[in-house]
Amino acid sequence: MSAARASILALLLCWACAAFADVAVPPLSGRVVDQTGTLSSSDVASLTQTIRNFELRKGSQVAVLIVPTTAPETIEQYSLRVAEAWKIGRKKIDDGALLVVAKDDRKLRIEVGYGLEGALTDVTSKRIIDEIITPRFRSGDFAGGISAGVDRIIRVVDGEKLPAPEPRQRQSSGVLSHIDPFNPFVIFGVFVVGTVLRTTLGRLMGSIATGGIVGVLAWLIAGSLAASIIAAMIGFVITMFAETPTSSTGRGGGRGWSGGGSYSGGGSSSSSSSDSGSSGGGGGSFGGGGASGSW
Amino acid sequence: MRRLWTVLAALATLSLTNCGYNAIQSQDEQIKSSWSEVVNQYQRRADLVPNLVNSVKGFAQQEKDVLLGVTNARAKVGSIQATPEVLNDPAAFQKFQAAQGELTNALSRLLVVTENYPQLKSDALFHDLMAQLEGTENRITVARNRYIKTVQDYNVTVRSFPTNLTAMAFGYKEKPNFTVENEKAISTAPKVDFNPAPSAPAK
Repeated sequence: MSAARASILALLLCWACAAFADVAVPPLSGRVVDQTGTLSSSDVASLTQTIRNFELRKGSQVAVLIVPTTAPETIEQYSLRVAEAWKIGRKKIDDGALLVVAKDDRKLRIEVGYGLEGALTDVTSKRIIDEIITPRFRSGDFAGGISAGVDRIIRVVDGEKLPAPEPRQRQSSGVLSHIDPFNPFVIFGVFVVGTVLRTTLGRLMGSIATGGIVGVLAWLIAGSLAASIIAAMIGFVITMFAETPTSSTGRGGGRGWSGGGSYSGGGSSSSSSSDSGSSGGGGGSFGGGGASGSW
Repeated sequence: MRRLWTVLAALATLSLTNCGYNAIQSQDEQIKSSWSEVVNQYQRRADLVPNLVNSVKGFAQQEKDVLLGVTNARAKVGSIQATPEVLNDPAAFQKFQAAQGELTNALSRLLVVTENYPQLKSDALFHDLMAQLEGTENRITVARNRYIKTVQDYNVTVRSFPTNLTAMAFGYKEKPNFTVENEKAISTAPKVDFNPAPSAPAK
């Protein structure tokens, strides 16, 4: 009993320590992460749209983060930590830029990835902060300041010669391309989808439908028509000749679980085309370049 | 007896594959590259200094000894060879750190002085140089932090069993790490004096 009490006490102590620790890095839920509720949802949407268009055109990744405070760290330490966690910018090209605003500290910083240090120099970043963003912040126009700042960052980066972005198809299937076609979850997902379709549409129609779905998915992943046709045929054959799962009740329990698995295959295709292309940056690295300012 | 030797020999062979030699090698190399980054950023700062001194000179000619202090510190930094061999020589490392610390101090004195010259502060060139200096100082901090972390990894490997035996056999010693050079100064609370000091900028 006393041991349990002691361990709970120790746990509580740990939590107390954690409470004093640094501000946590928020997950990269989108290109614009606002933890203060400063920006309206339409602001966030238009900013995200601007940044996404730029990313599709140029390949560079830009992200915006608004936090209430970075205390006890300085904004430089915090934004570097965020940049290291988010890894925005393409791998090896390191063309990411991050705009961090600490609203209650009245501080902001542009963190620049290694690959953009030539274009978005410290001086340029400082100018963007001093001449474009902070005057608007001083008058309380946060949305305007951020979008003007992002616009200018985009224009500056546009002037830099960078490797072209990868073709749109791979870009839009950012998450799909991580799916290994031979992942057991995918195969199991095919099984489940096939079974469901077969029971609803009948054996032949269900198999054809499954084959079609698998084919389209394979086409999205691999991008080659031949591979997708082969995959479609495999899907068709599996569904056509697979055993009906009514024989065991254990399968029924498994079905709900692997429904999640097939969701992660199919569902992500819709979400990846909408936003998640940027979440989880491309693997760019940062070395502390950029500039900070306050208002 | 013979069997015991066989077992011992087998154990020795087994331990060779796991003796940490490769870990030491890769961490050693990592230290070298992060050290190069540190030196690289310090070099960037040293390259900025002449321009900075020149731009300040145009507005604040009377601050001769501050400017001279920066120039001297810059010259001293330039005279120290910061090859990776420095890392195996704690004395040389100390010297490098001291020289860079001196330049840091001289630069911060210069920045304090520039506060008295509004004209200088509004100068576009000076403004740009300050942005570069700030950025470079931040890069130095980042590079030093990364160096500290890689050295930490390496030192842990070199000191913990059984890799310490390998390190001993091949002569790998702990690497020096950065310390705060003005430990005494920052551990005493700053004195706030509201009486105006008349002799501060007038030189």
